[in-house]
Amino acid sequence: MKVYITGAATTKFGELWSASPRSLAREAVTNALKDAKLSVKYIQALFVGNMLSGMLGGQEHLGAFFAEELGLSVAAFKIEGACASGGLALHNAINSVLSGQYDTVVALGVEKMTDHKPEDVATALMGAGSDEERAAGATFPGLYACLARAHMQAFGTTEEDMAAVAVKNHFHASLNPNAQFHSSITIEQVMRSSKIADPLKLLDCSPISDGAAAVIVTNKLGTGLPAGKAGNRVQILASTVATDTLGLAQRENLTELKATKEAGKKAFHIAGVSPKDIDVAEVHDCFTIAEILAMEDLGFCKKGKVGTLKHLVVNPSGGLKGCGHPVGATGIKQVVEIVDQLRGRAGARQVKNARVGLTHNVGGSGATAVVHILKI
Amino acid sequence: MNSPVKIWRNQKHIAALLGREGKIVSWTIVRVPPTGFSSLAPYPVVIIEFSDGKRITAQLADLPSGRQAGQMDLVGMKVRVVVRRVCDPPTEGIIPYGVKVKPCLPAGRHL
Repeated sequence: MKVYITGAATTKFGELWSASPRSLAREAVTNALKDAKLSVKYIQALFVGNMLSGMLGGQEHLGAFFAEELGLSVAAFKIEGACASGGLALHNAINSVLSGQYDTVVALGVEKMTDHKPEDVATALMGAGSDEERAAGATFPGLYACLARAHMQAFGTTEEDMAAVAVKNHFHASLNPNAQFHSSITIEQVMRSSKIADPLKLLDCSPISDGAAAVIVTNKLGTGLPAGKAGNRVQILASTVATDTLGLAQRENLTELKATKEAGKKAFHIAGVSPKDIDVAEVHDCFTIAEILAMEDLGFCKKGKVGTLKHLVVNPSGGLKGCGHPVGATGIKQVVEIVDQLRGRAGARQVKNARVGLTHNVGGSGATAVVHILKI
Repeated sequence: MNSPVKIWRNQKHIAALLGREGKIVSWTIVRVPPTGFSSLAPYPVVIIEFSDGKRITAQLADLPSGRQAGQMDLVGMKVRVVVRRVCDPPTEGIIPYGVKVKPCLPAGRHL
């Protein structure tokens, strides 16, 4: 069975103080349905990716919560996997269609973070770590800083190498009207920004953000249901998930994310393509070191050689760094960006002749990784 | 973290780690702390490896200040696991104890 995305939309990402989780979800799903030229009555199930609504907002039971908002009384689920919640929601949406249970479903990612104090957000995000890490007073910037330090020791990676990732992603974000940041930055600005968790500085870190993104997943194409015109459909070639130890210290190797390697390897095998075939990718750059690890561990380049990569465009949306990182929405937003790129409607940031794209979404410090490969 | 039952249940795990020595394999200085840790910040968080290859993440205690730690490379430093209060205690409820690590220094020598 072939499974397609026929509609895709994101809200603007950023500090959206006048928007609620309900209004963000409604906007994203309404626009995704409009994109697919589909009435909401054809939706048979809703998969919601979200991490923090319980800890920050006191609201759980998000399946029913958002189904109510959308006027649906269908099967509805909240899927949680830290910052990979969006990717996991899409994986489950795809599987529900592959199983034959449903024909057309929505995968929605949504997060509201800027209503809360930064230390409360940092504490809530540490829900993705281990007891041992919480007792150490570790934060996510701190855990990725430990990965950065190990990478610097092993491969001679410099703070300037990491800064270059932020510079590139801010440039891409400056071309994306939905991005949180529209300012270009320089390596010197990254290097001079205040330290958050040495060696990571403020401009190495993705921001705290609000936003939502939604895609319509369906197997119906040209069979009577108005599920999108041919030419607007994007086929899902692979959707894979892998996990590793929750805590960073317990990993086999501190210079790679094994979950990324395994999810990536499986996805390329299932899709029948190789890293060389990918024209455009959205990878999980929650911190600058994370994009370097992603490119290596997905097999785009050898360890310590990410600077030599030329054949593909990475994080045209601006990535988590430039576009913003509403954690549960990110995994779906990455797919929306690839859908826009493959359909040739990405405006000023369009990658020419993009035919095959990849998304990579990570939860925690690498305990969950989700990879999707899509083609037009 | 502050459930008395959970802290009681974790005692066995903590007891097994106390006094063990290892060396730092990676580290950071947390300058933007989570709730309950602001009186300690900035502070070093380290990943240490014991001789059997097992690793843990812990806070490094007994350095004069986190700022000083930021100025030297901590990789390779030998440390020992000790029991400490892990964060600011709540106004009500029990004081949360757990493990941290401190430098193993020759007698009489100070950082």
